[in-house]
Amino acid sequence: MAVDVRPPAARPDRPPRRPGLGDTLRQAWREYRSMRTALVLLVVLAAASILGSLFPQEGVSPQRVDQYFADHPALAPVLERLGLFDVFGSAWYMAIYLALLGALVACLVPRTRALVRVLRSRPPRGGDLARYRTRATFETSAPPDEAMAAARRVLRRHRFRLATHDGQLAAEKGYLREAASMLFHVSLLVLLVGLAYGKGYGYRGQAAIVEGETWANARVGYDSFSPGRFFGPERLAPFQLRLDDFTNSFYANNTPRAFVSRLTALDLDGRQLQSQPVAPNRPMTVDGVRVFQSDYGYVPVVRVQDRNGRELLAPQEVLTLRDPASEVSNGAVKVTRSTPQVGLQVVLFTGLRTAPDCPPGMDFCNDPRLSRPVLVVLAYQGDLQADRAQSVFSLDHSRLRPLGDRPLLLGPGQSGRLANGMVVSFTDLKQYSVFTLARDPGVPVVAVGAALLLCGLVPSLYVTRRRVWVRAVPAGPGTTRVELAGLALQGKAAFEGELARLAAQVERGSGGLTPSPPEDRGTLNGAKDRAAAEETRP
Amino acid sequence: MTPGDLATTSDTLVWLAVLSYVVAATLFGLEFAYRPRWLGVAGLAVTVAGLAANVGAATTRGLAVHRVPWGNMYEFSIIVGIITVTGFLVWVRRRPEIRPLGVFVLLPAVLAMGLGGLVFRVPAGPLVPALNSRWIVIHVAAAITGSSVLCLGAVFSILYLVKDRVERRRRPPAPPLVAGAARTADRVEVDQAVARHAGVWDRLPSADTLDHLAYRTIAFGFPIWTFAIIAGAIWAQSAWGRYWGWDPKETWSFISWTVFAAYLHARATAGWRGRRAAWLAIVGLATLLFNFYAVNTVIVGLHSYGGR
Repeated sequence: MAVDVRPPAARPDRPPRRPGLGDTLRQAWREYRSMRTALVLLVVLAAASILGSLFPQEGVSPQRVDQYFADHPALAPVLERLGLFDVFGSAWYMAIYLALLGALVACLVPRTRALVRVLRSRPPRGGDLARYRTRATFETSAPPDEAMAAARRVLRRHRFRLATHDGQLAAEKGYLREAASMLFHVSLLVLLVGLAYGKGYGYRGQAAIVEGETWANARVGYDSFSPGRFFGPERLAPFQLRLDDFTNSFYANNTPRAFVSRLTALDLDGRQLQSQPVAPNRPMTVDGVRVFQSDYGYVPVVRVQDRNGRELLAPQEVLTLRDPASEVSNGAVKVTRSTPQVGLQVVLFTGLRTAPDCPPGMDFCNDPRLSRPVLVVLAYQGDLQADRAQSVFSLDHSRLRPLGDRPLLLGPGQSGRLANGMVVSFTDLKQYSVFTLARDPGVPVVAVGAALLLCGLVPSLYVTRRRVWVRAVPAGPGTTRVELAGLALQGKAAFEGELARLAAQVERGSGGLTPSPPEDRGTLNGAKDRAAAEETRP
Repeated sequence: MTPGDLATTSDTLVWLAVLSYVVAATLFGLEFAYRPRWLGVAGLAVTVAGLAANVGAATTRGLAVHRVPWGNMYEFSIIVGIITVTGFLVWVRRRPEIRPLGVFVLLPAVLAMGLGGLVFRVPAGPLVPALNSRWIVIHVAAAITGSSVLCLGAVFSILYLVKDRVERRRRPPAPPLVAGAARTADRVEVDQAVARHAGVWDRLPSADTLDHLAYRTIAFGFPIWTFAIIAGAIWAQSAWGRYWGWDPKETWSFISWTVFAAYLHARATAGWRGRRAAWLAIVGLATLLFNFYAVNTVIVGLHSYGGR
């Protein structure tokens, strides 16, 4: 706090001036918009982002957050309260980047004012040219006004702004550096606005569709759905998607080669809107919603009958979870109509192979291609606890015991009998495809912001601001001495050469006939200058 | 040649390049320590030969797999070698006096390529579907170039810190308050003493030159890195439906970007210019290395195809 030490009595004519909260605030404001603040906030932002990669993030991998809670039951709730599982959405992270953007705006205002002032005024006078470090001089037979005209032409060609002060030519260029730097900083604001707008009014969701089935774009159809704060489900575009066909293929070394869904979009009355293959990096756009291929899996169709042939479970599509490494899928069938209840754990091999065809040491393995599908059925009986919430992909084994001691192995169309006489049939095999559906109305804004960012960044680093002054004075009969001096705000190392080249061009342009005497190239720029040379503007 | 032959040729060329770089680094190191110029010139020749082998390795690899040769960490490491060494050669062409610094540039390149060859080597093969996009050409190429150039800049920053320390230690004490002549004699004596005890580090270019090299290199790499991030965002938008998702790779790219942005600001801030700025560049280097090595292998994310 600034304190006014002058005694009030000393200034009887004016009311005593309070030390000024205003002064303090002004000082704080000046500090806030200084580059040092921006610098510190940038470092803090980087450090805060590191936290977001050290802990699993809710928005990136919720399963791993759950895992973390299971592994560290005492620590996890504390971390959660600190927002460490949602760093990039947390209030304190937001506070950091808003403070940074605030400082940016606070710094842009005076910079804009300064740039406008510079652009409105004429390049300033140079004063005594002899005191400049970077100079070039030559003598010519051309009269002074011709030499000056040549200098004007040369400098204008090099895009300098010109002004004349008492016979001295003043030239300046490189305002683009500051303008571009400001454009770069403004574009960061544009990016953030686009980001916030898209987040608020867009949504993302995932949906699984089985081959041959039609899916309606409604909230209930999504397996996961994360809407923006201002997105109402009533705004979901009215369309349906039909998965006509799904194919996947592999390279000889069993790594995936391609997976493609033939997808047809229909309106609510079933009229076809469009149809195209959807694959990774090849999304489809329907009604402003982008549909991306995201995952796939297998759907064995299973039917269960009791020993008398009475149907306990009509042919049912069993959704299974695929392990991407082995292409083996796991699922569960729950037969609640029998007493005791029966649960079937099913494991689907796309191409079951046995010992000699497998890597050494393995009794059986799986070919990822759909070459020899086999459904392995492990039966359990007891209480399925179906009234409790549970996964559709697995059984709750707590009140189940194994039924029989060996699993059934079924090919498509085959049936097998369990130890209690039940008949399990593997009637058909389909595939399902998982799509990510997303709408982000902020994308065009973000794209413009990113384009402006690049447009601003490069000139803000590479355009250099220069001032050059030229003076031509008679130096004896028929001789004119032309003096150039300059000041470089950036890129000082290269400036000396630039000025020498300018001088040479002026000399040629002024049409002098006498051979030029050795140039006084000024002092050589030492390393010290070079150190001060590269100054970046905020 | 069959794809198999090409892949074998590529692997051989990689080791040939690494070997050349090791030899060149040794020659530069000897020049740095003992000064004979011919060592450095020989080193330069061996570097160029190594670079040719390096480019050949990338080309044959690309021909063997019918795609751009930067689809995994091994291939990435090969390209890192090309970019870093090319960047160094460009600098040497402009400023021949920095040639002995080759030892400090080639050794990191050798480390990167050696690590790639020993730890991350994968047989030549096609890309997984998620990577099969023309954006891999643009995004990954920009990412390799940007990060290699930024790393090179940070190497100059490290050398700057070393030399700056040497220079500050050597700064002679304030001259005694005596007549001019005596003072000059004192200075000469001090200079001679300094020259006698000059360590090998004195032969680095001046601290100011190194600082300037670091700045110019980082100012060149930063826009490329920015472009790489933007190109990645465009690809992510077309592949995953979101241009930014705080995937660990994205997060660390952003961290590096922020740190190097801080470096550029520090260069223009009183009290930060010089040593503190150089430390920021070194932190930036650490984030780039973490992003490449740790994020690809340890942290699970959408970008985890790179490793084995």
